[in-house]
Amino acid sequence: MTTKHQANNGNSNQPLKNFRVLDLSRIWAGPYCTKLMADMGAEIIKMESLSVYDSHRGPINPARGIAAYPDCEPGDEPWNRNGWFNCLHMSKYGISLELTTETGRKVFEQLVAISDVVIENFRQGSLERLGYSYETLRRIRPDLIYVSMPAFGNSGPWQKYLAYGIGQEQLSGMAHMTGYRGEGPMKSGINHGDPITGSHAAGVLLAALRYRKRTGKGMFVDVSQQESAVSLIGADVLAYQMTGKEPERRGNRSPYFAPHNSYQCAGDDRWVAIAATNDEEWRQLAQQVGGPELAGDSRFSTLAGRMEHEDHLDELISGWTADKKAYDICHLLQKEGVPASPVMGGPDLLADPHYEARGTFVRVNHEQVGEMTYPGIPWKMSATPGEVRWASPTLGQHNRQIYGELLGIPAEDIDDLETQGIIGTKPTGSRII
Amino acid sequence: MTTESSNNGSLPGLLEGVRVIDLTHYLSGPYCTKLMATLGADVIKVERPGTGDPIRKFGPFPKALTPSPLPDGKEPHESGAWFLYLNTSKKSLTLDLHSDAGKDILKSLIPSAQIVVENFAPGTLDKLGLGYPDLQKLNPALVMTSITNYGQTGPYRDWKATELNLYAAGGLMYITGEPESEPLKEGAPLAQLGAGQTAFVATMGALMHAEDTGQGQHIDMSIADYATNILENAMMQYSYSGEEYTRVGNRGYGRAAWGIYPCQDGYVGIISGPDTRWPEIAGIMEREELSDPRFASRNGRLINADEVDALMLPWLLDHDKVDIFKAGQEAGLGFGFVATMEDILEMEQLTARGYFVDIDHGEAGTFRYPGAPIRATVTTSPQSPPSQGGEAAASQSSQAGQDNSASLTKGGPQGGRPTGSAPDHWVYHRAPHLGEHTEEILGDALGQSSGEIAQLRDQGVI
Repeated sequence: MTTKHQANNGNSNQPLKNFRVLDLSRIWAGPYCTKLMADMGAEIIKMESLSVYDSHRGPINPARGIAAYPDCEPGDEPWNRNGWFNCLHMSKYGISLELTTETGRKVFEQLVAISDVVIENFRQGSLERLGYSYETLRRIRPDLIYVSMPAFGNSGPWQKYLAYGIGQEQLSGMAHMTGYRGEGPMKSGINHGDPITGSHAAGVLLAALRYRKRTGKGMFVDVSQQESAVSLIGADVLAYQMTGKEPERRGNRSPYFAPHNSYQCAGDDRWVAIAATNDEEWRQLAQQVGGPELAGDSRFSTLAGRMEHEDHLDELISGWTADKKAYDICHLLQKEGVPASPVMGGPDLLADPHYEARGTFVRVNHEQVGEMTYPGIPWKMSATPGEVRWASPTLGQHNRQIYGELLGIPAEDIDDLETQGIIGTKPTGSRII
Repeated sequence: MTTESSNNGSLPGLLEGVRVIDLTHYLSGPYCTKLMATLGADVIKVERPGTGDPIRKFGPFPKALTPSPLPDGKEPHESGAWFLYLNTSKKSLTLDLHSDAGKDILKSLIPSAQIVVENFAPGTLDKLGLGYPDLQKLNPALVMTSITNYGQTGPYRDWKATELNLYAAGGLMYITGEPESEPLKEGAPLAQLGAGQTAFVATMGALMHAEDTGQGQHIDMSIADYATNILENAMMQYSYSGEEYTRVGNRGYGRAAWGIYPCQDGYVGIISGPDTRWPEIAGIMEREELSDPRFASRNGRLINADEVDALMLPWLLDHDKVDIFKAGQEAGLGFGFVATMEDILEMEQLTARGYFVDIDHGEAGTFRYPGAPIRATVTTSPQSPPSQGGEAAASQSSQAGQDNSASLTKGGPQGGRPTGSAPDHWVYHRAPHLGEHTEEILGDALGQSSGEIAQLRDQGVI
């Protein structure tokens, strides 16, 4: 595992090093978009309000014993010690600013003037109520790219409605097609809607920046988190029109392959995922599970036969896996060319030799948390590999740097901003869902 | 007002002029290149002669075309839902990459391309002499993106996997499902499609870098790595506290009244936050008992989760999903409902925004395709006042004298936002028939004569 300490600002050879993003987004979808850009060296300035900071930081006074904090200890400044927040904002600058004051608005407009992108995922129209629509912002910065990502986009009867990632799993059809056989729909363990939208937005935003570079034209990028989620799984919308049948909830089974499931192994809540995607893989799997007799059983030699007897096959395989370790089963089956993987939990992921070898997770030192493990950069780029440049900012951590060095505001004026409560590092309130 | 429109060709897509050699098949790679094609890139999908992308053979197929084979003996391999959806706006070139002639044709396309995307097993292209080092010699600025199960390196590099295995290995499966039942995968292949969309992001960054510096590069996108990257809640909890995240079924993690519930005609999503709004939920659900102070806080509801559920259920079971959704939303609460495919096709928000695109595929027929995931409106006149479209906007911009706005979207955004006067959408054409563009590409792009093309066809190269 590679270790990165704070205050390494080097991004000399990064693809996006010349782009500055003023990031007003909160929670997950917007921050995941700008995280992907930070992973390629963009200068992300995350702006928060002291009274309504990013709720992903958690409450001002959380109960003790909540596992979001290091060793379940919130500490004196819990808003700076929340794990989920701290994994989404690495390599970004953090500033605070109150847009409700005239001075704060002037500072904000100065920031807009020097930014290539403004991104927000407020409830539709929120920024406009503060007097900042795309039209007003592009008077300040004519070639601005403004990314607005409310739940349902910036038009239509539901534009004022709100939804979190969990709601987008439901409204996109993802939840409808997920669940145990014969039972109701099931949500995922995460909220897929958020990273799906964040990633879509990042891709289109980069294409927009490239287009601007060639044409000088800025643009308004309208993101409906719901449309983004439906687009990812759009094939099922076509499938329904073709067949007139709604997708079936199949548990872990597949309409194309059998057997195809997760099976309990030795240990507490330990599971292995096994699939046979063709007749040969089945024969190899069957050889291990039941020897030549099972491998040669003609009832199971075709996909149709295996699907007909899938309950029976699942029982046979479960019986075989029950007293074995998940990792042992995977190594054994992979040697025979059978798709198998451990159902990994946290301890598996952090100890797994494959992820270790690839540097999938990184160790980063945060001033209020110490050195911890985080998900790293999701891709490996050969010429511009990138790196986590510094830990997630504490609230208002880079106020002096951004307002002083970048905007050139004199130190005594920055002091005044602090005295007036327009900037600062201590929250005055929080709004947590 | 000058109008640029992608319909009449005067407004280029954002990626117009970018050529992508698409060596992908199945799900992850095709979704990545679908996004490029949607934004206007020239995506040439290279397929194996005779069979093509194996997902052409994956159903479901249109009712009229099942069961296979077709009455005329052909298999319906042009018209599976997955193939049709994932390959819109691309061109199809058949090419046998195992033959020398096929390799030569591929190599002759590389100097005109900016991007190659592939999702073969690691090492496959290297063995054919078509790996990144081979191709970069022909085009130093080439960006090549490889999407694989476990990546190009590491001990599991050659492990076989399906979506099930990757969802499991990425840690997402362990936290999905009921605590007492087996861990569950998603119904949709979200690990593969998500890796495809994220590979698109990296490819865009690398393309910009190549255009700035002349330096190409190879991107190694692992589907399993991607899955771990979005496992933020569970990963960070374990990393920070050592406490493992568990499966909680349809209840929110560490929450109550936060998830999917049955209702009269299906299922709805209840979001019981923030705490300050809880009394309104009690009001909506017409249950005085829900305003009991014991339930006022997130923790209070968690401790009394079963009791809260029992109090909510009668009202939920007595109301329809869309009514419940709207009752919550009109009160400013982020309720949802579990949409079926039928619901999605009829959803007023999606149809009002002109989200769907009707595409006639010929053989498969006409279907409503979900449109682009993101819309954009290009505007270049900072002086023009907020335009509302129509005549007002036209007269305002003629005063400004230089308005130059256009919409890349179907229907522009409303209310103080720029609206293009010509509603249209991103580039969207039906998926190609196998080898449909072979002659066009070999003839136009490579200058092959029809005699040479016929010879290649006889040899099975194309």
